[in-house]
Amino acid sequence: MSEKRSLRYGIFGAIMRSIPLFGRDPLVAADQVTDRALVAVIAILTFLAALTASAAQLTAVTAMRWQVMMASEVTVQLKPQAGRSMDADIVRASDILRGTGGITSVKVLRREESAKLLEPWLGSASSIENLPIPRLITVQIDTHKPPDLTSVGKMLSNAVPGASLDDHRTWTKRLGHLSDLFLTTSFGALLLVVMTTGLTIVFATRGAMAGNREIIEVLHFIGADDRYIAGQFQSHFAVLGVRGGLLGGGAALLLVLALKLSIMFPDGLPFSGISEMPIPDWQTVFVTFGVIMLVGIVAGLASRITVYRTIGMLA
Amino acid sequence: MANQLSCCNGIEISFDPHHALTTLKKVEGSLQAFPYRSVGELVRFENVGLRYGVGAETLTDVSFSIEPQSFQFLTGASGTGKTTLLRLIMQALKPTRGTVVLFGQDTSLLEKDGLTALRRRMGIVFQDFRLLDHLTTYENVALPLKVQGRDEVTYRAEVTELLNWVGLGELIHAKPPILSGGEKQRASIARALVAQPELLLADEPTGNVDPSLARRLLRLFVEMNRSGTAILIATHDLGLMDQIDGARRLVLSDRRLYVETTDV
Repeated sequence: MSEKRSLRYGIFGAIMRSIPLFGRDPLVAADQVTDRALVAVIAILTFLAALTASAAQLTAVTAMRWQVMMASEVTVQLKPQAGRSMDADIVRASDILRGTGGITSVKVLRREESAKLLEPWLGSASSIENLPIPRLITVQIDTHKPPDLTSVGKMLSNAVPGASLDDHRTWTKRLGHLSDLFLTTSFGALLLVVMTTGLTIVFATRGAMAGNREIIEVLHFIGADDRYIAGQFQSHFAVLGVRGGLLGGGAALLLVLALKLSIMFPDGLPFSGISEMPIPDWQTVFVTFGVIMLVGIVAGLASRITVYRTIGMLA
Repeated sequence: MANQLSCCNGIEISFDPHHALTTLKKVEGSLQAFPYRSVGELVRFENVGLRYGVGAETLTDVSFSIEPQSFQFLTGASGTGKTTLLRLIMQALKPTRGTVVLFGQDTSLLEKDGLTALRRRMGIVFQDFRLLDHLTTYENVALPLKVQGRDEVTYRAEVTELLNWVGLGELIHAKPPILSGGEKQRASIARALVAQPELLLADEPTGNVDPSLARRLLRLFVEMNRSGTAILIATHDLGLMDQIDGARRLVLSDRRLYVETTDV
């Protein structure tokens, strides 16, 4: 008999029954159409939830990485001043920077390099050499012992007229805000999807219990207590919930891994700019697993609460 | 051509197909109010009344008791409340007034767990069988033991033996939708008996079967009674009742219950 049931419910059913919680013989009649529809809905919801969570995790990690990169470098800009030697100002500014603690390297961009940065706007005509192009100094910061950038900026502007220090704070702040906004939105979406999953389970459980009212009555009359009956329905819907969660979450996981591979090997070859790209990592995989677990727990809890309430009403 | 069977507590059971029809007049002649006793009773009703909604009472001032190992029929015309009375005993209905005592416990004071414990001491044969269609005959019959949390290893042989006893040994893997009415009835009876209840309630157990099978089913009840189970069979089949001499008859008429005493 058990072999027949194993075949009827497939390999998945056999595996689930090997777990103590799900190992009971089904007293709740399996409604193939309703059960499949429920599994499909939960799978789709889990897929969306897992992708949302993965995207949020990826955004958070990438934004943090970019923020760290931006915070570890500042730029000093020297605008040409009438009557002043740019080369002398560059040397003076460089000396001040090198003498400041917390700065690990100072690199002066050559005039050609600065001109190249302006090429998209001004073109590469030779006349660019005659224009008063600002010069740039890139400064690497020791992120463990960063200098007081405000006082460094003041020191520079006092010593070298036309010098200004850009610590990218505006961009870092905007990136942080954007990342926070996306995270909050994603969390809200995840919450809604999980709630929808729970409500779907509640409605399905309630419907199934109303449909099985006669079975519940018979079980009561032959001496089954509420806990036993609840366990039957709960395990039935928990199995459906976990099955849907695994299907949807598994699909999301495959998509995430495919995305990771496609970014890492865009043309079948490793991508050199990889460190700056948002690439799904093991954390993303864990987040996806977490969503599957969450869906399973929500499915179990929703069915348990509904079963006990409905049994109370039916009794 | 009467078949005689030795029955519980000295009661003689007679199967006589030529004596199957007996008029109610014979029963009415000895109707009397029931003087209930309270010692060792499985069921005791005291002035029980039941009303559905706001209409007149369906049952009025019902008082009776069921003794251990006794055998009785509950009879009356259709619609007089036989099934309702059984549902009151199995606690599917609560009385509007009066007291229902089961196995010495006032049911109005029962908690849910207590109710479950009481139901485990009863076996119920429903008029419409109430077998679970998605389970096999074996699984249906084993259900009362399964819900008690017993391991299948401890009852497999017991259930198989019972199924053989009721003549369903070849159908243990069959599911109810492919069983005949009589086979469903026997499976239903086997399910009611499997946990060896102290009290068996059967609602029209022979209502859907031919006279020959009805006699066989009745023998099952008699055997069960012989092994110590009190039996209450609701039926309007007078022929069936005539087959067991000395069985007490509880007659529902005009919303009241009358108990026919018998000299055994």
